[in-house]
Amino acid sequence: MIKTVISFVSVIILSTSFSAISKTKVTWSMESNADRDPIMIEKLQNAYNNSQGNYELVIEFEDNETRLTSMRTAMIGGMGPDIVETPGPSYVKEYHAAGMLENLDSYAAEFGWKDKMIPWAYSSGVFEGSLYAIPKTHESMVMLYNKTLFEENNWKVPTTLEELEDVAGKIKAKGMNVFSYGSDGWQPTHEHLVGIYLNNYAGPQAVYEAIIGEREWTDPVFVEALELLKKHMVDEGYWSGSLENYYAIGWDDFHAQFANRGAAMMTIGTWTFQATQLGIGASGDEWGWAPLPSLSSQSPDPNFMIAIGTTMSVNANGKNKDGAIDVLNWIMSNKDKVLDIAKDFEFGEMVVPLTLSSSDIPTDIAPQVQDYLSEYARITGEGNYGYCTWTFWPADPGVHIWKDMEVVWAGDISVEDFLYDHQKMWDKARKNGDTLPVPLRN
Amino acid sequence: MKIFSNKNFVAWYFVFPVAFIHLFVIGIPSLASLALCLTDWRGLGEINYIGFENFIELFDDRYLKKAIINNVIWTIAFLTVPVGIALTCAYLLTGIKRGQMFFRLAFFFPYMLASVINCQIWKYLFHPIHGLGGFFERIGWDFLAVSPFTMKSTSLFAVAFVDGWHFWGFLVVIYLTGMYQVDNHLYEAADIEGATKFQKFRYITLPMIRPVFVFSIMIIIIWSVPVFDYVYILTGGGPAYSSEVIANYMYSQAFERFDVGYSSAIGTLMFFYVMIIVALFGLFRKAGWDI
Repeated sequence: MIKTVISFVSVIILSTSFSAISKTKVTWSMESNADRDPIMIEKLQNAYNNSQGNYELVIEFEDNETRLTSMRTAMIGGMGPDIVETPGPSYVKEYHAAGMLENLDSYAAEFGWKDKMIPWAYSSGVFEGSLYAIPKTHESMVMLYNKTLFEENNWKVPTTLEELEDVAGKIKAKGMNVFSYGSDGWQPTHEHLVGIYLNNYAGPQAVYEAIIGEREWTDPVFVEALELLKKHMVDEGYWSGSLENYYAIGWDDFHAQFANRGAAMMTIGTWTFQATQLGIGASGDEWGWAPLPSLSSQSPDPNFMIAIGTTMSVNANGKNKDGAIDVLNWIMSNKDKVLDIAKDFEFGEMVVPLTLSSSDIPTDIAPQVQDYLSEYARITGEGNYGYCTWTFWPADPGVHIWKDMEVVWAGDISVEDFLYDHQKMWDKARKNGDTLPVPLRN
Repeated sequence: MKIFSNKNFVAWYFVFPVAFIHLFVIGIPSLASLALCLTDWRGLGEINYIGFENFIELFDDRYLKKAIINNVIWTIAFLTVPVGIALTCAYLLTGIKRGQMFFRLAFFFPYMLASVINCQIWKYLFHPIHGLGGFFERIGWDFLAVSPFTMKSTSLFAVAFVDGWHFWGFLVVIYLTGMYQVDNHLYEAADIEGATKFQKFRYITLPMIRPVFVFSIMIIIIWSVPVFDYVYILTGGGPAYSSEVIANYMYSQAFERFDVGYSSAIGTLMFFYVMIIVALFGLFRKAGWDI
């Protein structure tokens, strides 16, 4: 009897080991997040591994800052993971320029990736005419508001500058902050606000022209946009009550502020949906969302700023390029699986820009998120989309837009001087060929 | 081959492992960094020689100038406040017979904590909602309502305060060690002459601990150059570069803007600055200073 049991166990162990050994390992270096990691393991790594017998996907989670440095060091040394995950196109640009990423053109053609993706998102990974990256998640900026609070006070959700300033006065009169937001722990938060004011004051068309070099950033329309932001930030204290409090408040605090009625609205990216649902959702109040208000007649229609959160590429020096391609193709070909992952994050993460029809949108997510997904598709489909700085700005001007904005808010330099410096950085980036792909505008 | 078995050569066998590691971990990267300062390398890809372009740009960089000024303020602050407090406390501790170990441990404790923990403690204390400001507001006082880390006028001093709070206990310990080396007969003689406590400190303690004291001054000046972690964690150099220091600026250039060549040029400046300080102390020693 004992002999039989031992034999049986040995067979199981051997067969398990053999199947593990026989599979070729595909490595993926991914940003770590305690809430997200188990879902990624279960619904991405395990689901892929169970779907085929050739490759074994191994996701290695690491704190993003450490990960980016160690991955870069490894890739300089001709090593690194098979699937290269970056925080956006400016990183892809650097790796591509160094010849470290695999050209994906032939695979895209073979597997029809272009037809499966939203066109602007596909083109964000095209460098010098060839595909080098696929967005792992795409996102936008929205305005959240406490629906219960708005209804109790008969406040109107603002759609224009006048309405925004009017409701802001009413909110402040109630002793609340207008918007809940802060930059503690993530200084680049400033660029979210700069992007909103550039796109919703100057208008997406003007921003597009500046990105492609047909308009100077020193144009009065951009000066006015950033003057308005300065007024709302410094003079009016729209965000968390004052500039100083905005600097002092981080992710947990501004979600708590929004949930506890410390603020009536929040300007934030769609990555927040899950946190918002858990935060204000638990408080008993209902939340709503709206496109960011139009801030001038130059940007009259509602628009959504388009952005790439993270990207996926194949390491040109990777040990198992075929396996990496197979993983990417699995993601591109299994819409239901990808949507199932995104659903767990309320479409705040792993929102691969696959073309969706209304029937694809899951019904077991927050109704606000369902509504957002439909509206986002409709409005951007009509060509009303703006540009997020972290997706379309080259590295140097991209850092300048948030780091040096503090200098403007501090009153150390004028908006004109800031934009003069900004233009110089864009000129330099253009001269060095550091600009990033931008989809053609109709 | 006889040289390798020579008695005088034996010491090199002990030095060799450390020197070998230093060569690879510090020596070669430092030399590479020196070379990179003359290039436009962006951390990946090809490296192009651009001569002294980075240095020309350095002298025109207003934020680097701001960072250098902040480093100088930082150094002066550390040469005065923690040194003054540590000397006083160490001297007072020499007079305490019971419970001295408790105070030594208490003063030294922040030095044993990781910088990130120290920073989180103070960040929390100064937080406008959860910290002291929030507490005072709830009892009707408008005190510490705004975090000093987020005000342009106070951010650098607030960060220096936190770093100084963690550092001064270390100074207490090394000053105390120096003070215990002082011959007790000198104090007895001073007592017979009727010297006050301050006179004993001024004319006996301070001259006798001069090597330790000068050493502490030297390490403060040198350590103030690459100061990074407290600034990075607490303010990231902001708001509006008000707490920016050279090392943080160098990090930002290399890892945020991918301008590794320019960042190396900043590193090279720091390297020469430290070399000058070390050389100065070497000259003082040669001139007969007991350091």
